[in-house]
Amino acid sequence: MSKITFPIGGVHPADSKFAANCPIEVLPLPQVVYVSMAQHLGAPAKPVVEVGAEVKAGQVIAEPGGFISAFVHSPVSGTVKSIGPRKDLAGNNMTHIEITVQGDEWAEGIDLSDTLVTEIPQDRAFILERIQKNGVVGLGGATFPTHVKLNPAPGSKAECLIINGAECEPFLTSDYRIMLESPRQIVIGAAIMRKVLGDCPCVIGIEDNKPEAIKTMQAANAELGYDGIQIRIMKKKYPQGGEKQLIAAVMGREVGSGALPISVGAVVQNVATALAVYDAVQKNKPLVTNTLTITGDCLPQSAMHNYLFRIGMPLSYIAEYAGGVPEKAAKLISGGPMMGKAIANLDACTVKGSSSILYLSEAATRRKPQQNCIRCGRCADACPMGLEPFLLNRLYKAGDVEALEQNAAQDCIECGCCLYSCPSYIPLLDNIRMAKGQVMGVIRNRNKK
Amino acid sequence: MDRLLVSPSPHVHAKDSTSRIMGDVCIALLPAIVVSVLFYGWAELLVLAVGAVSCVAFEWAITKFLFKEEGRFCGASALVTGLLLAMNLPVTTPWWVVLIGSLFAIGVVKMSFGGLGQNVFNPAIAARVFLLISFPTYMTDWTVTPGFIHATDAVSGATLLGRYAEGGMQAVEGLDYLQTFFYNIGGSAGEISALALLAGFVYLLCRKVVKPWITLSIFATVALISFIFNLADPATYTGPLFNLLTGGLVLGACFMATDYVTSPMSNWGGVVYGVGIGFIVMMIRYFGAYPEGVSFAILIMNMAVPFLNKWFHQKKYGRK
Repeated sequence: MSKITFPIGGVHPADSKFAANCPIEVLPLPQVVYVSMAQHLGAPAKPVVEVGAEVKAGQVIAEPGGFISAFVHSPVSGTVKSIGPRKDLAGNNMTHIEITVQGDEWAEGIDLSDTLVTEIPQDRAFILERIQKNGVVGLGGATFPTHVKLNPAPGSKAECLIINGAECEPFLTSDYRIMLESPRQIVIGAAIMRKVLGDCPCVIGIEDNKPEAIKTMQAANAELGYDGIQIRIMKKKYPQGGEKQLIAAVMGREVGSGALPISVGAVVQNVATALAVYDAVQKNKPLVTNTLTITGDCLPQSAMHNYLFRIGMPLSYIAEYAGGVPEKAAKLISGGPMMGKAIANLDACTVKGSSSILYLSEAATRRKPQQNCIRCGRCADACPMGLEPFLLNRLYKAGDVEALEQNAAQDCIECGCCLYSCPSYIPLLDNIRMAKGQVMGVIRNRNKK
Repeated sequence: MDRLLVSPSPHVHAKDSTSRIMGDVCIALLPAIVVSVLFYGWAELLVLAVGAVSCVAFEWAITKFLFKEEGRFCGASALVTGLLLAMNLPVTTPWWVVLIGSLFAIGVVKMSFGGLGQNVFNPAIAARVFLLISFPTYMTDWTVTPGFIHATDAVSGATLLGRYAEGGMQAVEGLDYLQTFFYNIGGSAGEISALALLAGFVYLLCRKVVKPWITLSIFATVALISFIFNLADPATYTGPLFNLLTGGLVLGACFMATDYVTSPMSNWGGVVYGVGIGFIVMMIRYFGAYPEGVSFAILIMNMAVPFLNKWFHQKKYGRK
């Protein structure tokens, strides 16, 4: 079958998947963890434990704070030492539950064995409840609560479940490693989500720069033999893993401005989410672990790692365990180099959606001085939403919010392709982010009236 | 790691830069430059050198002493302007005329609008037209100087388009088109070899510096119009091959009309822009007072670019 990709824009940054051949290692437990109440999109969770309480790993410690919110479980066994504000990855103050680790005892009812459970539950409500109660959120970046996404509003019907195995961000290898090491669990997770969505067809998309993952996943899919799941090979292009781009690549459909993917019959989930769904439904295991990559351009090969971490682990603890912060690191990033967040220090702690600690050298990451726009149009060619960043940049500087809306500044997905490709190093995305904020504000105000 | 950088994403950048793009254009001009020096000798080298050096010098001086912002100096961009201007001039152009052309191109057409990226008109072409109007004698003297592989004495002659404008179809009968494609003596440096220019253009396409749409639509329009006129009245109107291979069409279509700053941003805008240029070129060649119209055509269409940018946009995702 031919390779697929999205039709508009896109760029080809260097792969830099240096940690691809590092098997996933389990991180030992730290002495203390700090569990954030905002590990998901939507309302922060509300703590349901008191200071001094004894908790076990996998026990609920916070409940959803709204419809779009998620349960949070204790990642470790130990004692709740404090509940209070602490800086999260974005540098905002957020309530964290501090737990002193004692032993590693898990709550009852959780299957910690390695036995593969291949039988798919038939009861839709049971599956959704397990996913919700075990705090599963989307692990592709947005951390949207999975049970909400898998339960489309009445009237809308899922026509295709897309499982994102693109991992289009350079450097990151955690999705690649789980596809190699837990392919059957991912396929079962996909089969479960397919069941919830009314047996709609499912496509697992993997980019052609990961031939091993394609082979392994195809073998696992053939071995398990579920109906309606196929693996599609995608031509490597960033941002293939963007929800809207995946839908265009796989289904040939475009989601309208401001609309949800379900409006064109699409539901997109990440491979890591599929694995979490498997754990939640088949093993009744809450989402308290995930995989992250330690990588960068200024690390020796021996210092690259893929780790299975527990949520709430301080980044400094992980970095220390991995061998410390390299001398030459000029920027620390949580996430990939295209969309990840630069962090000022390692004080923050891992959350469900953590995917990496990326160290970039000054040469790789420092922005060069800005020059005049030469109107080469590379930004417009690169934009996967078909926007004209040079124009939005100019309109933003002119303060013309009306024209910004007409030219669809609000459709920007902040993938970074424009700034990445600008030969004059104009901070296009910086300005378009601000412009997008202004336009969104205007739209919100209008809708209120 | 005592001082960490913190900035919004993306954290990496493509290896492209403005200087590298302009450098690629200079490399693409090399085949045509080499050919012109081989055919026209030291005199051509002098014109090219004066154009190139003076444009870079004016750009540097203006950014340093008038703008007082040396960071805005982009030597490679000025070099492209200088080379293109020189390639548009007769080989016999006195050095001080070239100098005036450079000052007009950089000082008036480019810098007075705000410098790199801000000019409305293509600086090299605007300067050529300025010189053509100011110094018509120098600018239409098509004396050929002795070259290195073309060792005749200096001969004065008219360009093919000039001969056609003067004497009609009889004056250009029996032309060997294959030879004209490889080289054609008479005219400015940029008119000698279509092959050398196209080789450079293919390099630009491979390096993804330019897109082919503007160039192709100019060629197609010129070919179509001359095909129709030639079919209707072969005794009066020259045909497509003649019009594609003569004059500054290849240079203009490949290197001047494709200038980022003065051409439309969108592909469809580029197509319309190219059709406009092709149409105006043919109208001037057939009916105009000047034998050649590529420069005028590009300048006129430069003025249409803001409108084309307003009317033509890329296809947006999820929108009609």
